[in-house]
Amino acid sequence: MSVHSLTVKNILSRIRQVFPDAQENYVINLINDALVEMGYYSNKIAHAKISAVANQMWYDLSDGAEDSSGNKLELNKVKRVYLMDNEGDYIQIPRLTDTNLLLTDITSESALEAPD
Amino acid sequence: MASNITYPDKHAVWFIEGNNLCLVTNTDSSGNTSTTTSGRKTWKAIQESVTDGVLMYYNAEPNKVSSIEDSLDIDNVFEKGIVEYVKKCLYMDRAGKTPDANLSQVALAMSQMHDRSWKEISVKAGMQKRDKTGGTRVIKPFNMT
Repeated sequence: MSVHSLTVKNILSRIRQVFPDAQENYVINLINDALVEMGYYSNKIAHAKISAVANQMWYDLSDGAEDSSGNKLELNKVKRVYLMDNEGDYIQIPRLTDTNLLLTDITSESALEAPD
Repeated sequence: MASNITYPDKHAVWFIEGNNLCLVTNTDSSGNTSTTTSGRKTWKAIQESVTDGVLMYYNAEPNKVSSIEDSLDIDNVFEKGIVEYVKKCLYMDRAGKTPDANLSQVALAMSQMHDRSWKEISVKAGMQKRDKTGGTRVIKPFNMT
């Protein structure tokens, strides 16, 4: 027997028990709002590859950011980062806690927001 | 194309600044530990371009729904919470729209009840479903031979 799972139609029928006039599009919008909030919890773990670029320090992770195949990352929280070694294997690299680096990289800071 | 860095775990680090991942290394483009800069400038941007050179594991946002036939892109323990969220919002709308103060109060109370239920489900399921690890744990000892 398959696992119980709801579709939008199922949710709408539950909602219409109490709100018979609930608009389909409005309910879909509310469901999407709820899904965005659900994104705070680690219920969907994804992986993505991005290309390292010479002399680029900053890599975009915003809502519109894409992986190297052009897929949207839709990233909420980075858990682990791996870097390719000289044999083509991905090796986990540590997260730096003291981020007060002396040397910065002005050429790739276009990824950061500049004043309008 | 592989990178020139032999031991990324020793020569590269990452951190997050807002919406940006920062990658820095202390090696040059040939993968050798940089000697051209003094200690205080050791860590700098990666010096070589590597296609698919970075792999990330992350919490991703669930896919949105756009039609009535769509399934939710979340674990099914969260689904009841979604229903509670929608009811919470609809009761809040009703409370704001109705001209009857008593009905408005009732709708507001129902909205708060569904809000509590939504929070309870999302927090409880969020904690439980953080991972699906179970069973006894084993510590793998060092090989002493």
